[in-house]
Amino acid sequence: MMKKNIVRLMLAFGFVPLAMSCDYDNFDEPAAILEGSVVYEGQPVGVRTNGPQLELWQGGYALEKNIPVYIDQDGSYSVSLFDGEYKMVVKEGGPWVPQLNDTIVINVNGGTTFDVPVTPYFTINNESFQVSDNSVTANFTIAKIVETAGIESVNIYFGTAVLTDQNRNEHVANVAPGDITEGQQTTVNVDIPEDLRDAGFLFVRIGVRATQANEFYYTQVQKIDL
Amino acid sequence: MRHLFILSVIISFFLTACNNDDWLERDPKNIITDEQLWNDPVLIKSLLANYYDRLPALHGVFNTGGMTDIDDAMWSGHFDGNWHNDFQYGDDYGRYWDYGLIRDINLALDNIDEYSIELDEEQKTLFRGELRFIRAFVYFELVKRMGGVPLVTEQLIYDYSGDPTPLQVPRAKEHEVYDFIYTELEEIKADLAPNNSSQTRANTFTTLALESRAMLYAASLAKYNNRMASPITLPGGEVGIPADKAGDYYQKSLQASQTIINSGNYGLYDENPDKGANFYEMLINKGNREIIFAKDYELSLKTHRFTYDNIPRSLTEDNEGSSVLTPSLNLVESFDYLDGSNGTLNYQDGNGAYIPYENISDIFENKDARLYGTVIYPGTNFKSTPVSIQAGVAIWENDNYVFRAAPNLGNQYDDGNLWTGFDGPKDNAQFVSNTGFYVRKFVSEAAGASTRGVAAQNWWPWFRLGEIYLNAAEAAFETGQQAEATAYINTIRERAGFPANSISNLTMEMIRNERRTELAFEDHRYFDLKRWRIAHEIWNGSDDSEDAVVYGLFPYRIVRPGHEDNNKYIFHKMRPTRFRRPRFFRFANYYSSIDPNVLNNNPKLVRNPFH
Repeated sequence: MMKKNIVRLMLAFGFVPLAMSCDYDNFDEPAAILEGSVVYEGQPVGVRTNGPQLELWQGGYALEKNIPVYIDQDGSYSVSLFDGEYKMVVKEGGPWVPQLNDTIVINVNGGTTFDVPVTPYFTINNESFQVSDNSVTANFTIAKIVETAGIESVNIYFGTAVLTDQNRNEHVANVAPGDITEGQQTTVNVDIPEDLRDAGFLFVRIGVRATQANEFYYTQVQKIDL
Repeated sequence: MRHLFILSVIISFFLTACNNDDWLERDPKNIITDEQLWNDPVLIKSLLANYYDRLPALHGVFNTGGMTDIDDAMWSGHFDGNWHNDFQYGDDYGRYWDYGLIRDINLALDNIDEYSIELDEEQKTLFRGELRFIRAFVYFELVKRMGGVPLVTEQLIYDYSGDPTPLQVPRAKEHEVYDFIYTELEEIKADLAPNNSSQTRANTFTTLALESRAMLYAASLAKYNNRMASPITLPGGEVGIPADKAGDYYQKSLQASQTIINSGNYGLYDENPDKGANFYEMLINKGNREIIFAKDYELSLKTHRFTYDNIPRSLTEDNEGSSVLTPSLNLVESFDYLDGSNGTLNYQDGNGAYIPYENISDIFENKDARLYGTVIYPGTNFKSTPVSIQAGVAIWENDNYVFRAAPNLGNQYDDGNLWTGFDGPKDNAQFVSNTGFYVRKFVSEAAGASTRGVAAQNWWPWFRLGEIYLNAAEAAFETGQQAEATAYINTIRERAGFPANSISNLTMEMIRNERRTELAFEDHRYFDLKRWRIAHEIWNGSDDSEDAVVYGLFPYRIVRPGHEDNNKYIFHKMRPTRFRRPRFFRFANYYSSIDPNVLNNNPKLVRNPFH
């Protein structure tokens, strides 16, 4: 009986301070969510996974540090934040014109959706893929958005996984920039490499890189059945 | 009464004992005062030794891990270190901001002026010159990684007024930092002449060597940055050198290089008729006339573990370590053949069939001798012992070779001959080469050098004449002096075993390849690719790129009894499993980001582009 009491007493002394001490030393976790997409004319801009980033800054404090915002390959992003006013910077290093000075002010209050407008150097529209006899025919239209931009390269990517881009892919077909007329439909026929023919399906997307940028602008990933 | 007398005598002893001032005013044994330090040349030299020791390098000075990140190699050491094969250059890659060292030097310069009264003027000038050389070296390291940085040349002292703005120095323009380095070096080069016989302290030729390198960097930045589709610049010039400055910088670099070459103080090391061994010894044998400035090591005082890290597996004297840095096939192929042809190895014929070789080293025959001096490849010796590099056996089955590796290194195959060598290579294994190659450069053959207890004492060359020849060639080529440039390159190649005048129509591509092979693993490749502005094309992150991906070449012994090719060797190019992610260099990596804490402390600093 005595022994049991001592054990209970020890448990009580052990747990009570644990329960109490949680009160003061913790901050609330950020509750608000800011989400959206990187868009041009309302259309999300595809990027390389783990590639371009946005940056959030919050003023009003003595010390500042940027909050990096990672962009999903379909162009969407989401960040957990505290409520408040933030400034978003479109950093250099994306397939678009950087916007460093005219920062975008975003008021975050609970769940907030904000689409970040960007100006890509090039866009790719109306892309479609047809499979026939171990080859893929791709139709797409490349449009120049920034007058001074030049096409550095255009690639068609084949991947066995949904994350497919310049750095992660199973096969790349290069399209000579000379074969492309901006604003007009381009048709390219690509042989599927032998080791991919039995895959059953492939993920494909097209990327275009401007001479000014070192990231590609990508179309959304499409799954094609072989 | 008598007691009183004795007591007074004793008391009087105490009174007189206090008389001796000398005894009371002794110097403390655990504190050296400024007056003592700055009037004692021995103490000043030991202080300088500390500063020399702190000279910065990104992956130089036997930094094995760093070399696997940015030179042509991969990490084959412990699996814990495999992030070296699976990483991206982060925004802060190469970040460097050591104003602590700058302040120490500025303080030392002030103190010499203030306290040194017993030194003669010549000594003071020499010490001042050495300090300023180290400072210029640090600024060069800062500018090549961060772009224009604040030029601080005197102590910044806070006056407790509540206003820190006088301490906030803005960034200088990128070219201003290079100009600062040049003027500093020009001012001190004559002062350092008393050190001219030393290879480990700054002297006239060390300053010229730094001039040669720094001015070449400035010149190529001015030229190649402005050739990009969108040059990397900042509006204030903190990053980006105007294109019209290129010619002047090339000229300054060339002049410094020529002064060193024509001085006769240094010579390309050419002692051993075996050109490959000669190239290896050049970096190992201390005191030879090729080395202009080195960081020295000594067994009893200061050692390094580069040999422990990188010695081939079967030759290590320690029970752990070895085989960490393993060069890539791409590097091996970048060494030309001695007849001048491209160095691509002939392991397959035009139809994709393997080419059998009688001896395992035959495929590397007639290659640039520097390949032997840099890389341990199959069929060669290290420490006078043949290395045992063989991936396995190739068995002829169904009209095809099937590769089979042994379960354990050093096993024999059924036919009684070697199956897999004691040095591998073995794919997806640790502490054995994953590429089929080991590094020879800088790995010491001395007894005990590969143990942790003894370790190695070969030195690190900051500057050597070989680099100066290449700097001269590049600067001459860029300023249209084709004949001189060709002569410099051919001299370097002759030392590597090429016949005289092996190149007649020199191109920039050749100069770049020459730097890649001659200076491999000497902390040049990363910065060379950066200043030529081709790093983002070479390391483009693509799985299809031969440069961004590290490949290996695995030798197999043919098992095909009765056939003429039996027991010959074939070579298979492979991509090591442990090499996970192709090298990917983004525009953002041309200049590292500045630490946010530094930016917070000094609002006058502007951020680097892309950061």
